[in-house]
Amino acid sequence: MLRYFLKRLMFLIPVLLGVSVVIFSIVHLAPGDPAEVMLGPSATQEEISNLREQLGLTKPLYVQYGIFLKNALKGDLGRSIKSNAPVVDEILERFPVTLTLAVLGMIFAIVIGLPLGILAALKQNTWVDALCSFFALVGFSIPNFWVGLMLMLLLSIYIPILPSSGFDSWKNLIMPTIVLGIQTMAVIARMTRSSMLEVIRQDYVRTARAKGISDRLVLTRHILGNVLIPVVTIAGIYFGHQLGGVVITETIFSIPGLGRLIVDAIRAQDYPVVQGGVLFFALCVGIVNLLVDLLYAVLDPRIKAQYRAAK
Amino acid sequence: MNKFRTAALALLLALTFCLPAVAVELRLAQVADVSSLDPHKVSDIYSANVIRQIYSNLVQVNEDMEIVPDLAEKWENPDDLTWIFHLRKGVKFHNGEPFTAAAVKYSIERIKDPKTASPGATHLKEVASVEVLDDYTVKIVTKHPFAPMLMSLTRYETSILNEKAVEAAGADYGSKAAVGTGPFKFESWSRGDKVVLVKNADYFRGPAAIDTVVYRGIPEDATRLVELESGGIDLIPGNFPYQEFANIEKNDKYLTYKVPAMSTLYMGLNTEVKPLGEKLVRQAMNYAVDKQGIVDAVYFGFATPSRGPLSPVIWGFDPARKAAYPYNPEKARELLKQAGYADGFDMTIYSDNRTERRNAAELIQAYLAEVGIRARIELMEWSALLSTSAKGIGGAFMLGWTGTGDADGGLTPVYHSANIGSSNRFRYKNEALDALLEKGTATLDQEARKKVYAEAQELIVEECPLVFLISQELLGASTSKVKGFKLYPNMISPLYSVTLAE
Repeated sequence: MLRYFLKRLMFLIPVLLGVSVVIFSIVHLAPGDPAEVMLGPSATQEEISNLREQLGLTKPLYVQYGIFLKNALKGDLGRSIKSNAPVVDEILERFPVTLTLAVLGMIFAIVIGLPLGILAALKQNTWVDALCSFFALVGFSIPNFWVGLMLMLLLSIYIPILPSSGFDSWKNLIMPTIVLGIQTMAVIARMTRSSMLEVIRQDYVRTARAKGISDRLVLTRHILGNVLIPVVTIAGIYFGHQLGGVVITETIFSIPGLGRLIVDAIRAQDYPVVQGGVLFFALCVGIVNLLVDLLYAVLDPRIKAQYRAAK
Repeated sequence: MNKFRTAALALLLALTFCLPAVAVELRLAQVADVSSLDPHKVSDIYSANVIRQIYSNLVQVNEDMEIVPDLAEKWENPDDLTWIFHLRKGVKFHNGEPFTAAAVKYSIERIKDPKTASPGATHLKEVASVEVLDDYTVKIVTKHPFAPMLMSLTRYETSILNEKAVEAAGADYGSKAAVGTGPFKFESWSRGDKVVLVKNADYFRGPAAIDTVVYRGIPEDATRLVELESGGIDLIPGNFPYQEFANIEKNDKYLTYKVPAMSTLYMGLNTEVKPLGEKLVRQAMNYAVDKQGIVDAVYFGFATPSRGPLSPVIWGFDPARKAAYPYNPEKARELLKQAGYADGFDMTIYSDNRTERRNAAELIQAYLAEVGIRARIELMEWSALLSTSAKGIGGAFMLGWTGTGDADGGLTPVYHSANIGSSNRFRYKNEALDALLEKGTATLDQEARKKVYAEAQELIVEECPLVFLISQELLGASTSKVKGFKLYPNMISPLYSVTLAE
């Protein structure tokens, strides 16, 4: 198991290298440069080239990449062009915010989505099922910035119980959590429902029922464990998705997270922050995928057995 | 044990209620968080607003954009190249260091040092030397006679810094430390979220009425409005959405602020591209566009058609100027025919993706079509638009110009042929205009200067290397308990005299 884990961890290295090359190229090959943005429309050619030199942008691209990579391996992602703060500091300062949001969003999605899916499957083809499915469909279809604005109107103005933006207390987290989790919630609900319906018809469930085990026990012992595997896959994929969705949520609710940092940096052509931020995101998604894989083993003894066999 | 805890808690509670009145806190929301509080290294208006509260300059502008004393009490010109400033005594930096002439010398030299790569260096490029005559007298010598000197020294980019504070903070200056002589002291900055300032009790004009200022960056228009409505913030000092302003003006729960902006929006024409090099064609385009239509449709009425290349709040604007090229499609067609383009021509309008500019470009496209000019719109990234247009773009481009508050900053970078390749994006060359602009920069007598610039404005309108569009208004709003706030045309409004009613 440990060896498998380490092997998978090694796989992350080429992935991150690839990401670094791609993001470096995109950032540097896109038109415009930070010197121009910083100095604005009144800058002279001389001022722009002076600043470019200061920023180390006059060296050939492969040299710049080499320097970036060498420093990155030492854990130094450079300094922000805009604020002059170390990029690592900026990321570490903001990552906890984003992680909190993403985790809360996922908890919200599972806590609401899973029971919704189970309920729909158990009451298949009744009005309960229709209602749950409708709820899931709506949750998936409405754009989350719209949900955000509507929640804000409702809970900050009409019934003023929650602050609409910022990041000062737990109250600030409620609306963003809902906005961030609502799509994943819908996906989990639908996935759970279809997965349940499949498992319910399995022979072992019928056998269990036939043995006279109570419905409740059948559900918790025999059905849920098997339902969870596809749900965990989806949740894992959507966790990465949520890290991305955080950009919109953080912008609407003006939350100082990693997503907003990167968007602001893209606007200002702040190369080091964009590169460092995206690389960090890639690392996070990679780790989450790894954790999901490991979680399979915990949930499904068959997979665990495969790991053993692979040894 | 438990009893003891209860007693302690009760005591704590009692103490809380006995505390004196809560500190007065003013909360503002801007579109973005600051990028740095080192005035010599930033170029964005949101940082500038916060910098304005922390630092002082030698001279400042008031709400009418007139120059008034700040750290310098008075000044004189013994000759056309020399500026002597007599400084205020007894001023202290926030770190306790006394303010003297040495700080002026240090600050100006830091801005000019190529290693600083200061966006503000351009304002001081005429400065040849700074000399400390005594602790409270400083002499600045310029390379050529440079009339816009005072306006340059009012800019936030030329704020006066303390050498010890800058050295002590090193690379963290501007993010973890910011030391000035202004009415508010830097307290903290949570990046991406907010900057907190506290009152400077030793401010040389006396302490401000507000104890704490919180500047938040809220990028979404709708969120900013919800925050104002729900009481999360007190004041939106600019960038209020145009389409919402009429509504909030009617609501007496709020105070609204409206001033003409220093900036103008125009459609620049690359005069090296056919047929935009021909004056008749350019004039025809100017007549073809209904500026009032843009004011109404894009700015919801909160703008005025341009009265030439300068906004009316810029020093040196000629008040005799009327709206440039009133809408007249008939005349436009006639001029096109005269120029030999009776059937019109094809052209491209480049713009970045900002809503107002894109919408204005679309309207212009429609107006031009009416007189037979077939324009297509191409959207570009902002920085790409800046660099491509500096090198010569393949047609017309949507751009705004703010300048420095002085006619020189509003005209010379944009129209002088020496700036072709950088800020003269029209790539327009006219020797008569060059001569006028040079004369304007070198004439220290302000009344004589005004006449020179009036002539220059007339010439630019006649030659029109651009399509004059509009001067927008700056809009702001606050809750009704905010008193004494004034929105400045340069969008950098001091909070020193603001008070909060209960």
